[in-house]
Amino acid sequence: MANTAGIFVSVLGGAALVLGAAYGWTARDYRSQELAALTDRLSQLESSNAALVDQIAQGAELKEKISELEASLATALEAVEAAKTAAAAPEPPVAAPEPDTIVADATGLEFGDPSRGEEVFAQCRSCHQIGQGATDRIGPHLNGIFGRRAGAHDGFRYSDDMAMMGSDGLTWELETLNAYLENPKALVSRTRMNFAGLKDPQDRSDILAYLRQFSASPQNIPEAAPTAQAREVELSPEVLAIVGDTDYGEYLASECKTCHQQDGSDQGIPSIIQWPTEDFVVAMHAYKRQIRPHPVMQMMASRLSDEEIAALAAYFAQLE
Amino acid sequence: MKLNRRVFVGTGMAAASTLSAPMVHAASHGKPKVVVVGGGAGGATAARYIAKDSAGEIDVTLIEPTRTYYTCFFSNLYIGGFRDLNSIAHSYGKLASEYGINVVHDWATGVDRDAKTVSLAGGGSVPYDRLILSPGIDFVEGSVPGWDLSAQNAMPHAYKAGSQTELLKAQIMAMPEGGTYVMVAPPNPYRCPPGPYERISMVAHVLKETNPTAKIIIADPKEKFSKQALFEEGWQKHYTGMVERIGPDFGGGNVTVDPAAMTVNIDGEVVKADVVNVIPAQKAGLICDAAGLTEGNWAPVDGHSMVSRLDENIHILGDATNQGDMPKSGYSANSQAKVAAMAVRGALTGSRVFLAKFSNTCWSLIATDDGVKVGAAYEPNDEKIASVSSFVSQTGEDAALRKATYEESIGWYEGITTDMFG
Ligand SMILES: Cc1cc2nc3c(=O)[nH]c(=O)nc-3n(C[C@H](O)[C@H](O)[C@H](O)COP(=O)(O)OP(=O)(O)OC[C@H]3O[C@@H](n4cnc5c(N)ncnc54)[C@H](O)[C@@H]3O)c2cc1C
Repeated sequence: MANTAGIFVSVLGGAALVLGAAYGWTARDYRSQELAALTDRLSQLESSNAALVDQIAQGAELKEKISELEASLATALEAVEAAKTAAAAPEPPVAAPEPDTIVADATGLEFGDPSRGEEVFAQCRSCHQIGQGATDRIGPHLNGIFGRRAGAHDGFRYSDDMAMMGSDGLTWELETLNAYLENPKALVSRTRMNFAGLKDPQDRSDILAYLRQFSASPQNIPEAAPTAQAREVELSPEVLAIVGDTDYGEYLASECKTCHQQDGSDQGIPSIIQWPTEDFVVAMHAYKRQIRPHPVMQMMASRLSDEEIAALAAYFAQLE
Repeated sequence: MKLNRRVFVGTGMAAASTLSAPMVHAASHGKPKVVVVGGGAGGATAARYIAKDSAGEIDVTLIEPTRTYYTCFFSNLYIGGFRDLNSIAHSYGKLASEYGINVVHDWATGVDRDAKTVSLAGGGSVPYDRLILSPGIDFVEGSVPGWDLSAQNAMPHAYKAGSQTELLKAQIMAMPEGGTYVMVAPPNPYRCPPGPYERISMVAHVLKETNPTAKIIIADPKEKFSKQALFEEGWQKHYTGMVERIGPDFGGGNVTVDPAAMTVNIDGEVVKADVVNVIPAQKAGLICDAAGLTEGNWAPVDGHSMVSRLDENIHILGDATNQGDMPKSGYSANSQAKVAAMAVRGALTGSRVFLAKFSNTCWSLIATDDGVKVGAAYEPNDEKIASVSSFVSQTGEDAALRKATYEESIGWYEGITTDMFG
């Protein structure tokens, strides 16, 4: 704005000069000439001033960025140091005394005793290797499992269901691994992992403590959201025993059929026909408790009561 | 009467269920009659569910003028080159042959609510015990000054799928190098809230491949739109610099068009365009008004059964309704149809009626393998159908999730069209 005003005034000044040449100079002409020059100068000063203010502001921003970077560098360095100490320590990192962030997470799940976990892991070794030089066998190797997207370890051929859970957003963390170990099918219906599950919570927390030694430094293991509740996967016998109302199930199922194809095709969306009833029930409860990812299914399941899930299962079970 | 009544298939089942179900409706002699007007997402689903679940106890007539229904859903993907036109075309053959529905290809021109009959353009009328209307939308006259239906060949809406969609695509493909496509976007409420913006994505996709210097302008009367952050992120990422949206604060709501000159006047500025896609303001399909079932532009219904608030024997579905929180989508219409079908069967044959539940998910494709979605679950209260929980895709999601989301939408398309047409 200041600039255009300046140009405007100097144009006026120029006009005055031309007029002066034609009619002879008057004091007023000189004054207006001077005024024009001054206004010009002022507007130049104003714009360089503005540029300076800009630069100062940018400087301040840069400074802020630098201090942010410094802070994150410091955190990273700390993490590296901690990892080093942990690696050097004779005790495994789980035993390191930082109980709030390491031993328990916000879900209330806890890591157990890694050396006992190693013993429990013996039953897994026929399929899974872990530690230095571990390679994929019947199952993928488990180094670095914490924080890894499900079904995302390069070069291993997963079941379609596992791959789908991965693209839906399932990541292996304390809570999801705990749920998967407890009952693999609750999380991944047609998983290739042919394993009934570890029902004893102590076994699971011990094995998880053992596994975690072979993942990135513990500080980097994502914590579950602080508000999350510990979520049980295992359903009570009463819930599993509910006999569903097939008529009601048929009505409720009409909502499923908008997306899930009735001929059993699983293009883009998994088939839900001819599913063992119990698998169906545990899967729906896992969505309801938000242990399984997928926003549509979480939403659908969240408003189904235990009876409604049983009704759906009963309806789908009698479809041939 | 030019209707040929079909002999019902599955009479054995009909006999069996007659034994168990008390006949509630005795007003008409013979089987209770349901007439459905409109064979789209709402109407086809309702007709099929009533015929299927009543197993011959109810006589179902479906009145629909066109022999081929082109789904609006995925019509944008046809424009983008991801589907061909055939893949979004559906016939009523199975509804007639497998479900025994009496399919009448004609327009309904009026409803005599006292006599309970529907009159047809081809002459004659059809009696009903319960009537279901799912006629979709029509356009509000004068909402875009300069445009009316007679201009739809120069400036297509492509908001009812079929020849309009084909025309729009042909016009886009014929744009000169560096040409201009203008969309006049509709005000709320309208069918498929993300629809115009998915269309923009698909238009940008084809133009980027065939005519990368072309420009896309949206004149939009709305402050905000569905999945805005996701679309804007996608346009920035895939179609940098191609899409310009003029919102209401820059005059996007002050638009007139001149179909003869192919110009669009946006708040005083005249834009010469090669393609002008006018999506006018919308209202309930005309038959609703003709039947005296509208208040303002839409037909009010009670979400417990989708029954009209103005006539207890008429249920109204889908885009035409004012029901509350559900968006006007094919998914919603299909969801509402099942609730209405259950209520109608309950009223006519005494079959069990459960508490209504509704849901909706709208997938949109932004670019190849870049799908997003938004959805919610709904339940009725006395005032309206209310949203009880919802979700939406997030910006910055990884490619695997976006691809899975797109693949999911293909599965959904197969699912819902089978649910409509068998
Ligand atoms: C570009 C676009 C993209 C879309 N994408 C999606 C999407 O991805 N997902 C989604 O869920 N929805 C989508 N929709 C919305 C969806 O198409 C509609 O919401 C849905 O079709 C509404 O169903 P309906 O039964 O109310 O009307 P319609 O499906 O339009 O059916 C109405 C039928 O009634 C007939 N009819 C009208 N008047 C009469 C009469 N007087 N007598 C006899 N028959 C009559 C018509 O011929 C028509 O076949 C999209 C819409 C558009 C325009």
